[in-house]
Amino acid sequence: MDIEQYIKDIKIKFPKIIDAEVVNTKRLMIYIPKSSLLQIAEYLFKYLAYRYIIVTAMDSKEGYEIIYHFSDDSSGWIVNLNVMLDRDKPEIESLTPVVYGVEWIEREIMDLLGITFLNHPKPERFLFAEDWPEGKYPLRRDYVEEE
Amino acid sequence: MSAGSCNNCDIEILDCLTPKFDIERFGMKLVGSIRHADVLLVTGIVTRKLLPRIKEVYDQAPKPIVVIAIGACACTGGMFKDSYTFKGPLDTVIPVDAYVPGCPPKPEAMLAGVVKFLNKK
Amino acid sequence: MGKKTLVPLGPYHPLLEEPEFFKLYCDGEIVKEVIWETGYNHRGIEKLCQSKTFEQVFYVVERICGICSTSHPFAYANAVESIPGVEIPERAKYIRSIVGELERVHSHLLWVGLAGHFLGYNTVFMWAWKYREPVLDMFEIITGNRNSYAMFTIGGVRRDISPEQAAQLLKVLDEVERKTTLLVGAVMDDPVIHARLKGVGILTAEDIHDFGAVGPTARASGVDIDVRRDDPYAAYDMIDWKVITANDGDVFAKAEVRLLEMYESISIIKQCLEALKKTEAGDIKVKVKEIPPGIGIGHAEAPRGEVFHFVKSDGGNSPVRHKIRAPSFTCIPTFRRSCVGGTISDAAIATAAVDPCYCCTERMSHVYDYTTGKHIMSAAELIKLSQEKTKNLKAKLKV
Repeated sequence: MDIEQYIKDIKIKFPKIIDAEVVNTKRLMIYIPKSSLLQIAEYLFKYLAYRYIIVTAMDSKEGYEIIYHFSDDSSGWIVNLNVMLDRDKPEIESLTPVVYGVEWIEREIMDLLGITFLNHPKPERFLFAEDWPEGKYPLRRDYVEEE
Repeated sequence: MSAGSCNNCDIEILDCLTPKFDIERFGMKLVGSIRHADVLLVTGIVTRKLLPRIKEVYDQAPKPIVVIAIGACACTGGMFKDSYTFKGPLDTVIPVDAYVPGCPPKPEAMLAGVVKFLNKK
Repeated sequence: MGKKTLVPLGPYHPLLEEPEFFKLYCDGEIVKEVIWETGYNHRGIEKLCQSKTFEQVFYVVERICGICSTSHPFAYANAVESIPGVEIPERAKYIRSIVGELERVHSHLLWVGLAGHFLGYNTVFMWAWKYREPVLDMFEIITGNRNSYAMFTIGGVRRDISPEQAAQLLKVLDEVERKTTLLVGAVMDDPVIHARLKGVGILTAEDIHDFGAVGPTARASGVDIDVRRDDPYAAYDMIDWKVITANDGDVFAKAEVRLLEMYESISIIKQCLEALKKTEAGDIKVKVKEIPPGIGIGHAEAPRGEVFHFVKSDGGNSPVRHKIRAPSFTCIPTFRRSCVGGTISDAAIATAAVDPCYCCTERMSHVYDYTTGKHIMSAAELIKLSQEKTKNLKAKLKV
C-alpha cells in the first residue's frame, strides 16, 4: 500500500481530517473531529470493506481519546480513526448504524469510562454487577477505589 | 463451579475425567446438579457479579458439603487481588475445607488434594 | 498410575453452575432472540495491567484465558515490541511459532471433544481429550507447565528448545497426527454428524463482516483472513503453510476448518523444528532497556481468531493504557444471526460452533419463553436436548 498517496487521497476526500500519521510499522492513525466519524467510518468499513476490529477508549491528558481500529487484511495495515472528546462533554454518536458489531464495545466503554454514545440501540450496563455504583468509572484517571 | 476464572483450572478439572487421570477410580464422578453433590470444587477469584450466585449455590448444596478451593485465585485471589471486581478470596464468602494451590494445579495435585482430605475424614 | 480404562461418562457438564450468559428467547421450538449478558468473569485486567511493569503484563495476560494462553502474550509481545521496534532473534521467532501452533492443536482438540459431548458422542469427548494429553505433556517438557507457559518475554522467549526436546516433540506430533486422522475419519464421515451439523448455525460472509468476526468462524464462511498471513509475525512468513477455508458457513464447515488446521499446525511446527537446527542455540532474546513513549498495536492469530492488543506507553515502566480484545468478543454476538431462526435443540451446538472461550467470555445459555419471559430451561437441559436430538436421529437413520 502506497501510504503517502493513501494519506494524500484521504485528506482530499475528507477535508475535515485533522491529521494522519504513521504511528508504527503498518499502523496509520487518522485524527478526525467527532462530527466526521460516521462519514469516514462508512468509507473505510463499507466502501473499502475494511474489517472492524474493536474500539479502544482511554482517559488521556487532552481528554477522552477514542480509537476505532479497522484492518485492511489485503495489505496488513491497521487504519485507526482517532477522536478526542472534551472531558466536560464526553459524548459521541454511536457508530452502530455503520458498523453493526460496535454495539457491545460501546456499552463496555460506557461502563468503564462513562462516555455517552448517542442513539445507541441498547445503552445498558454491560460489564458491571447490578450493585456497582453509578458514576464510578474504573478507567478514568480520577477513579478512586471504594472502601 | 467457576467464580470468575481464566478456566485453566476448570479445564484441568475436566481433565480429571479423562482416561489418563480418571477420577472414577477413586469413587468420584461429576454430577449434574449441586443438590446431588458431596464435594464442591470452586475456581476463580469471586467477581462482584458472581458473589450472590456463589452464595446461592452453596445454600442449595445439601449439607454436609465439602468445599475445595482450586487454584491460586480461589485460594487467595492470586494476581487479581488488587482488581476492582475482586470480592474474594473464596473463604471470605463460603467456608472452605481444603485448598489446592497452583496456577493451574495439575490434575494429579487436585486428585491428591481431594483424596488426602477424604482420607483425613 | 494403574490400568488405563476408558470409562464412558454420562451427559453431564461440569461447568453447570456457570452464571447466565446467553438468554435464548424461544417461541415454541424456534429461537427468536439471543441476548448476551456478560461481566461475570470481568476481573479488571485492563486496569490491572496499568499497575504492572511491561514484563509483568505477560503473566497477567496469559491468564485471561487458559486455553489460548499463548495467544495473548503473542499479541501483546507484537504490540509492545513494536514500540521501540525490536527485532527478536530468528530462533526466538521459531520457538514462539512452535508454542503458538502447539496451542492451536490442543485448543482444536479440546473443541472437538466439547462439540462431541454436546452432540452426545461422549466417546469423542474422551478420545479428543485423551489425545490432547501428549500435547500438554510436551508443553510441560518445553515450557514447564501444561497451561500458562510463561514462554514470552520482551525481546524473545525465556526458554530454549533442546535437540532432545525437539526429537520428543516430533514423535508426539506424529502420534497426534495419526490419531487426528482417525478422529477426522470417524467424525466427518458419520451420517448423523452430517445431519446434525450441516445447515445449522449458518453465518454468511456479510454476517462475518458486520460483526468483525474472525478465526475459523470467519474462514468457514469463505472469508479468507488469517493474521499469520495478512500481517505476518514471528516465523510465519519464513515457512510454507496455507490458510484453511470452507464455504458453507455452517457448524460442519467450522468443524472442518478446525480439523484441517490441525494438520497445518503440525506441519508448521515440524518446519520450525527443522529450521531451529540452523540457528544458534541459546540465542533466544535481545535485551530491551526500556519502552519509549509511543503506541503499539499488535495482533496474533489465536485458535479462535485474531487477538488484538493496543499498548500505549509514556516512557514509564507500565503501560498507560492496555486494550485487549479477544476473538470471542466479536464472534459471540454472531449468535444473533446463527441461532435465531434455528431450533432450541440446535442451540447448544450452534453456540459451541464459534468456540467461545469460556473466560474471554462466559458460555452458558438459558432459555426463556419469548412471549411470557418465563425461564424454561438451563444450560444443562439445553445440552441434554442436543444430545437427545442425536439419539433420535440415529434411530431414524438406523445407525
